[in-house]
Amino acid sequence: MSKLFFDHLISLDEVAAEIKKSAKTTEEREEMWSLIDEIITHKALDVILGRLERHHHEEFLEIFHKCPHDEVIIFGFLKEKVGENIEEILKQELGGVAFDLLKEIKGPR
Amino acid sequence: MGKDPARTTDLVNKKRVESEFLRNKLKLKSLEAKQSLFGAYPHVEKYLAEKGLDLSKLREHSAKVITTGALTGTLLFAPPMMVKDLPSPKEIVKSIADWETASPEAPQKLLLDSLKEVLPAGTRPLDRSQEKTLEQIFDRVVGVKTKAALEGEHLNTTYGYIGAEQHLMRYPGDTMKTHPKVAQDDEGMAPGRGAWGYFAPSKTQLSDNLVETEKWYAVVQTLYLPDWSRRQPYLRDWYKYRKVLIVNTTNGNAVVAAVADSGPAAFTGKSFGGSPEVMNYLGGPRYKKGPVVVFFVDDPENRVKLGPVDYNNVNIPGVALTQV
Repeated sequence: MSKLFFDHLISLDEVAAEIKKSAKTTEEREEMWSLIDEIITHKALDVILGRLERHHHEEFLEIFHKCPHDEVIIFGFLKEKVGENIEEILKQELGGVAFDLLKEIKGPR
Repeated sequence: MGKDPARTTDLVNKKRVESEFLRNKLKLKSLEAKQSLFGAYPHVEKYLAEKGLDLSKLREHSAKVITTGALTGTLLFAPPMMVKDLPSPKEIVKSIADWETASPEAPQKLLLDSLKEVLPAGTRPLDRSQEKTLEQIFDRVVGVKTKAALEGEHLNTTYGYIGAEQHLMRYPGDTMKTHPKVAQDDEGMAPGRGAWGYFAPSKTQLSDNLVETEKWYAVVQTLYLPDWSRRQPYLRDWYKYRKVLIVNTTNGNAVVAAVADSGPAAFTGKSFGGSPEVMNYLGGPRYKKGPVVVFFVDDPENRVKLGPVDYNNVNIPGVALTQV
């Protein structure tokens, strides 16, 4: 299993299906999956760090490095430092990214 | 006689252009996201560099952390109470023996009851003790010898969600006009080839064995294996058409399939894929996603046939054999 702590907040089945239609080879398909992962991960960190006070950044990064898959530990930490609604905020932000990605992928080429 | 004028436009592969265009768009978006993050938080870039953590390889890093946790039995995912409440493998195997004597006519119920004892509430990587217990259960109840780790190889998870895949092109020019279909809600054919290319170079070279391989194929996430790129071409060859036992943990249906593609993308929440035939057998025509256990088939003499494992012809009330 390759799991990231925010995977449960975002559904990208449609994006995966569109990539499958477009990619010519397995390598291309996997490269595009990886790019999508990068976009989502950078955005997730951007949203979290933007709401987390600067002096908590290192502690968050330590936890993220040790257990990037563990939503219980990471959101437990974030809820304590940022507030109970951080999961909902992240869900909304990532939902926006997913929507944009799908628009880009399906849009006129 | 003059030469034909140079022409290029009708030689351009439209699909190639589309895929290049999309890749470039995604690359650009990825770069923007990276610049936005590291522009605002340069200390984060420095921290990640110091730790040697590349965000483009975060899934591999995560898989490594999870695998290490499962191997050392630290059960990162499970609170200690869950471990305490699990019956020991010996107890489970003993209860299987008792069951076999008492109710030999209902192995499906026996399998489901045993799975309930061993599996955690949600899908996640299992620890070695859980996997060892399941190996014994599958051997005794389903009648297939399996290993979670075979010849030192182990999937990132053996318990996860499976999703419906499409038929694969078996040879150049293969289409759904001639490709066998499932009776209802067929998924059609995937636009590209599987991770190991065509099954045969031409229709005439497609053996009955390869027809079965495509019909009963499975998809596993080889791309996220922590050592996938480092151990090439060994791993690529090892996984090609590797037989796996897939057990639907909701209804107990089991099928032996051959690995013939890589995926699905981790961001879909699924860990495995199944051909239309595999999915149809596991859960019926409307079954598109569900929890399964996937183990390697331990079959050094290549005797186990691909396809449904008909270990039980008795449907139990409320959980039909072919429908979820």
